[in-house]
Amino acid sequence: MPVKSGDKLPSVDLYENSPASKVNIAELTAGKKVIIFGVPGAFTPGCSKTHLPGYVSDFDKFKSKGVDEIVCVSVNDPFVMAAWGKEHSADGKVRMLADTNGAFTKAMDLEKDLTGPLGSIRCQRFSMLVEDGVVKTANVEPDGTGLTCSLSNSLLSQL
Amino acid sequence: MQPDGILKDGHFYGFWCGDKLPNVYLHENTPDSKVNISELAAGKKVIIVGVPGAFTPCCSKDYVPDFISDCGKYKSKGVDEIVCISVNDPYVMAAWGKDLNAGGKVRMLADGNGAFTKALGLEKDFTDTLGTSSSRCKRFSMYAEDGVVKKLFVEPDGHSVTCSKSENLLSQL
Repeated sequence: MPVKSGDKLPSVDLYENSPASKVNIAELTAGKKVIIFGVPGAFTPGCSKTHLPGYVSDFDKFKSKGVDEIVCVSVNDPFVMAAWGKEHSADGKVRMLADTNGAFTKAMDLEKDLTGPLGSIRCQRFSMLVEDGVVKTANVEPDGTGLTCSLSNSLLSQL
Repeated sequence: MQPDGILKDGHFYGFWCGDKLPNVYLHENTPDSKVNISELAAGKKVIIVGVPGAFTPCCSKDYVPDFISDCGKYKSKGVDEIVCISVNDPYVMAAWGKDLNAGGKVRMLADGNGAFTKALGLEKDFTDTLGTSSSRCKRFSMYAEDGVVKKLFVEPDGHSVTCSKSENLLSQL
């Protein structure tokens, strides 16, 4: 079953900047209010033109609503995620965490087969608000890739 | 004939000098833009460089940049095209090429599902560090004429920068 409101986040390691730098997503969200959004692929058009930039530019709005951190997740390696974040000036606003082997995506049952265009199983586009490790709101794009309910402005209006 | 620069332990790769390049599609910039590598290489002198991953430190800092800056030297030796391949999707490859200022010098071609890498017998498991469901490509450089491999340098450990570097390949042409 895809992740939904009321679920506890799985205890999965993601990677930040390099394969040596592990971040456990359950530990990151303990005791905090965290936004997590997932994308099918770093550097892909929809993710790059709209989804990530929206969260970067709405950072202050999220902060004013008590959000402690914003995290972006994708099934890419940490070097690619870091480069993508740098291109979008995400530093200090959105943490770019690599779901290198898709373990987090799988644990949330949000896999999407994008082998044709992107060469591997990727993550459906989603956004969620997590409080102390528990999902409060989850918005998963109906087709997995569209740019509707998971966008920044939509999640902001739910806070 | 044997590939050059292959290993001390006597292990030979499946792909040898004298082999024809496999008839495989790669992608350039987007998933819709197919490039058949054997068609690209037909009737031409081509350099093909393979790397474990776009944006990885080693590949980004010196390895591919050397082929970019040596482009003029390759052209003066009659090389028609230089191609870089990696098991990454085409959007990542295009972004990486832009980051390295490869435009007009090295074509960045995506081996998205690893078909070309597999056909060359150059797969390497980097699952722990780079993930993905398919293996990545060992670091290699090759020179092909009319689609036939004439020179092939594959890094013995698959990722260091020794025999496959641009300076070495250039000296062999």
